[in-house]
Amino acid sequence: MPDVPPSVHPDAPPTSPAGRRGVSVPDLLVALGVTGLGVALLIGTLQIPFGINAVVGPRVFPLIVSVGMTVLGALLTVNALRGERAEPAAEEDTDPNAPVNLGAAGIILGGFLLGAVLLPTLGFVLGTALMYFTVALAFGERRWGLMLLVSLALALVTYEVFTRGLGLTLPPGVLRGII
Amino acid sequence: MEALTALFAGFETALTPLNLLWALVGVTLGTLVGVLPGIGPALTVALLLPVTAKLPPVSAFIMFAGIYYGGMFGGSTTSILLNTPGESSSIITALEGNKMARRGRAAAALATAAIGSFVAGTIGTMLLTFAAPAIAEIAVQIPPSAKFALILLAFVTVSATFGASPLRGLTSLFLGLAVGLIGTDLQSGQARFTLGRPELLDGIEFVTVVIGLFAIGETLYVASRLRKGSPSVIKLAGNARMNREDWRRSWKPWLRGTGLGFPFGAIPAGGAEIPTFLSYSLERRLTKHPEEFGKGAIEGVAGPEAANNAAAAGVLVPLLTLGLPTSATAAILLAAFQQYGLQPGPLLFVTNADLVWGLIASLYIGNVMLLALNLPLAPVWARLLLIPRPFLYAGILVFSTVGVYSLNNSVFDLLLLALFGVIGYGMRRFDFPVTPAIIGVILGPTAESQFRTALQQSNGDFGIFARQPLTAFILIIVALALILPPVLRARAARRAR
Repeated sequence: MPDVPPSVHPDAPPTSPAGRRGVSVPDLLVALGVTGLGVALLIGTLQIPFGINAVVGPRVFPLIVSVGMTVLGALLTVNALRGERAEPAAEEDTDPNAPVNLGAAGIILGGFLLGAVLLPTLGFVLGTALMYFTVALAFGERRWGLMLLVSLALALVTYEVFTRGLGLTLPPGVLRGII
Repeated sequence: MEALTALFAGFETALTPLNLLWALVGVTLGTLVGVLPGIGPALTVALLLPVTAKLPPVSAFIMFAGIYYGGMFGGSTTSILLNTPGESSSIITALEGNKMARRGRAAAALATAAIGSFVAGTIGTMLLTFAAPAIAEIAVQIPPSAKFALILLAFVTVSATFGASPLRGLTSLFLGLAVGLIGTDLQSGQARFTLGRPELLDGIEFVTVVIGLFAIGETLYVASRLRKGSPSVIKLAGNARMNREDWRRSWKPWLRGTGLGFPFGAIPAGGAEIPTFLSYSLERRLTKHPEEFGKGAIEGVAGPEAANNAAAAGVLVPLLTLGLPTSATAAILLAAFQQYGLQPGPLLFVTNADLVWGLIASLYIGNVMLLALNLPLAPVWARLLLIPRPFLYAGILVFSTVGVYSLNNSVFDLLLLALFGVIGYGMRRFDFPVTPAIIGVILGPTAESQFRTALQQSNGDFGIFARQPLTAFILIIVALALILPPVLRARAARRAR
């Protein structure tokens, strides 16, 4: 692993003045999470009943996967404790030096979950328009009228294309009879 | 010669007006998603799978093949004009091509990338035409234990051998394998890891996993670290074209790049990155203009772009003949075959000859279409890079929702989609590659079934994996692929100290 300057990790704890890199808490938590997932899978595996008349039962493969996951998690934990930290991916539209804005991701996730839960009641058009609106909002768009218009228009066009053109069934919801 | 006869029959299938239309739709969509950030060919095919369920398989696969090749063409446009590679195999194009564009040679860079991709794609497809039936004939005799060993080889090469961190690649693979376990075990009928939820008895649709990890994860991640200000897209005046000097300097790198790319794609050893890097260093060594390298040498775009596309053709060899995907897009194509009740592998050439050969013929046609689409229309594609990001990512999220919701009309699937989106975010933030997880989800159940079939045939004797010569041989390679890279790395590190 190449040494990464701490400036790349705005959310990592600052290094001590002596220059020794401390343990990165987020990395350690991820490693422990993988280990925990492995253990949980192992517990789940032991609850699978043995197959009848099978040379290799339904338990063998899950056992391999869960033990493997636990071992990988343990190795990741050891590495994290030795000060290894992950380098966040660089994507086409990201800036590695930009301050991390978890709020924007939270808005998208919140809008998506709200839209998903309300989708059967509100209908497909209003549900996805809500999602569209929150993503645009999270990406920094502030022309409210335009956002509202584009969200509704795009959701409506998508609905019409997929239901009429491709024969999918999507819930009309409160707009039943209108669209 | 049998291959030629079959290929002509394939052209008869692919040249019907309707299938030509689907090929055109595919290459256009492919170029589009190649150009646009945040969305790639793997995601596009996954998104279209539920929607195309009513198409005849041949037409659907002709469109998917167009998307697959088109993504490679479009990716170079983004790399050259925006200097941001969409995937690791475009890194070199971004390096050298963007420097060319900054020196005012964008048209030549785009042209050598497009024509090189065409040359490599066409030669690669020819090699596929003749190699695939020959390999399929041999592959019919492979026993289940060796099939299991081959899948292990694909797992290890995709996740451990070539990534930056084998440990992180393997963790991603195991995450995929674990997701693949959820649902009813087909051989014994036992429910596994369903947490008592009836929605999970059928397992998790791989489409949900793919769209969650790619589209939702990407949207969340980009939102959290968005680049402020508009991207600096280099202006392109007129068509993509080359002068006589450019042609003279490009044709040899195209051929050499093709020669490097195809075999790397064809052996189940994953990915188009290695041949593009090899091609770049080869061209730098052979060039008469070494002073231009790093500042925008046309050879440095021509070679790697050709290698990239030849590898894409090569990847189809193990996919069609053995059912082994070595890239994310190939894995999704495999899943698409399974959705139509088809199992790629040696028998596909016998049982569905018209489908396979129609698909291969459409690759030739798609390449010609892509050349015609990319040279004169380069300025149009370049304009796509200016789409405002809020609306682009909002659109990606909404189409993802349609794709997943239309599978079962179930809100539960959308909640799963959000869960995999959060996991996808975490994988980008903590440097876990996504492709191994996709391969794990799609190939994991096949691996388990071959493993159990092999053991049933040997009455539970694990010795079958050591005694069957082909199996043992492949397993030794698997072990070497796992052990050698870390050992070599450790030795190099010790020497450097």
